Amino acid sequence: MESAADRSMAGWSWLRPWLLGLTGGIGALLFWTLMAFWLKGGGGVISRLPTPLAVGADLLAYAQGALWRDLAASLQVFLVGWIVGSVSAAVAGMAIGRSRVIGAVFGPIVEALRPVSSIVWVPLAVVWFGFGFTSKVFLVGLAVFLVVIVYAIDGARRVAPDLERTATMLGMRPLQKFRALVLPSALTEVLVGARVALMSGWGTVIVAELVAADHGLGAHLIAVQQSYDVSAVMASMACFGLAGFVMNAIFSRFEQWLLPWRSGGAAR
Amino acid sequence: MTGRLSVSHVALALLGVAIVIAVWQGTIAWYGLARIVLPTPFEVASTLAHLFASRSFWHDVLVSLREFLLGYAIGGVLGVLVGTILGERPTARMTVGPVIEALRFIVPFAWIPLTVLWFGTSLTGKVVLVAYAVFFVMVVTTARSIVTVDPTLTRVGTMLGMGPAGIALKVHLRAAAPGIASGAKAAAALGWIAVVAAEYIGASAGLGVMITNASMSLATATVIAGMIVIGIIGATVSWLVGRTTAAWLNY
Repeated sequence: MESAADRSMAGWSWLRPWLLGLTGGIGALLFWTLMAFWLKGGGGVISRLPTPLAVGADLLAYAQGALWRDLAASLQVFLVGWIVGSVSAAVAGMAIGRSRVIGAVFGPIVEALRPVSSIVWVPLAVVWFGFGFTSKVFLVGLAVFLVVIVYAIDGARRVAPDLERTATMLGMRPLQKFRALVLPSALTEVLVGARVALMSGWGTVIVAELVAADHGLGAHLIAVQQSYDVSAVMASMACFGLAGFVMNAIFSRFEQWLLPWRSGGAAR
Repeated sequence: MTGRLSVSHVALALLGVAIVIAVWQGTIAWYGLARIVLPTPFEVASTLAHLFASRSFWHDVLVSLREFLLGYAIGGVLGVLVGTILGERPTARMTVGPVIEALRFIVPFAWIPLTVLWFGTSLTGKVVLVAYAVFFVMVVTTARSIVTVDPTLTRVGTMLGMGPAGIALKVHLRAAAPGIASGAKAAAALGWIAVVAAEYIGASAGLGVMITNASMSLATATVIAGMIVIGIIGATVSWLVGRTTAAWLNY
């Protein structure tokens, strides 16, 4: 008796999330537009809120101009820092995770450094390396290092004891054991950590560029802020969001392809 | 993992600290570094002692803490509220979810210039920023913890004659509490860093202002001392949140 209705419901139910999501998106834009007009009349504390259209226009103008140069500069800082941070965390993590003594000597130091976000290091990096590329790479590398090291230590320690005993029984030398057991386990975790570190590394790029504003998206953001151009500020914020989204999507795909058995647990 | 702290562990940890201090001192001696590049550990310690004795330092600490606490309270309460609604109602989740996902990718730090334009260097700007940072962490963790609550619990609630509101408050929120608590801890760390970062860009007082000013005048010992203070406060705040939520969860 309910089969016909059910079937038509089932046929359309895949559309529901899309329609509702679209409604939500349009609703948010509508609310934003109304707020913009209301605030223009002097209704609230925020003096200038541009309409979504104005921000979109600024985004287009930026995309036709300096956006690609700025994006390339920011991405370069990010990628170099991310690779340096991940590689050094992999090496340090395996040493700390595999050697009892190194772990006991340097583990507590890493633990003491970890709660201090790399963003707190910005003023010191400026003193040490000035406002240039090195300074930003140092900060991003540190941010990524502090995240990835936890995963690297965990991965290096997590080798199943059975496998280790089997390897010993098979007469594998320490170096062979390292290559066959420790390295794969640790590097898997390093990859997972490297994805988790994407956002904190990207956030660090933003702060570093806001403070040491010479090149990149953050420098542009500060420049338009200093000319009180609110819609251009919002347009470059959108660029940061889009870039973060694209990087996250690319790396999730990459991780799914490389470590299919892990990607479920690592999805954030 | 750190259940049993043996003497040798403590000794090796102290050896680690000694190595760091030796390398620190050694670098200064070897390269003949000036104090403005890298002060000695002793100088940092004495600067720290000076700071503790000065009034303006405590003023900065209080300013930063107040910005953090207000923003954390506002963002936390709103985040758990909205997260509960999104977790309970699939329709709400499908409608608002995509907007929240999109905004989540604009990390709080990217908002700093805008908050300066909108609110100047006032307290409001930082409170809004911290609330924004905390809100998104709490919405996402709350909604996810509620969605993953064991459906058997919901059925038990229904069987006991509870309405949807009763189930949401008495069953779902309790079952989701561990997830929400770990979110609250992560949000505290992020919120504290957001305060410091916001103070770099536009503020008149606070620990972030203190260390950027010190960095501009090359008072590196003050920069490092300030970093230590910021780190200790951040760790303490996370620890307190963890402790409080653990005590509250322990019923």
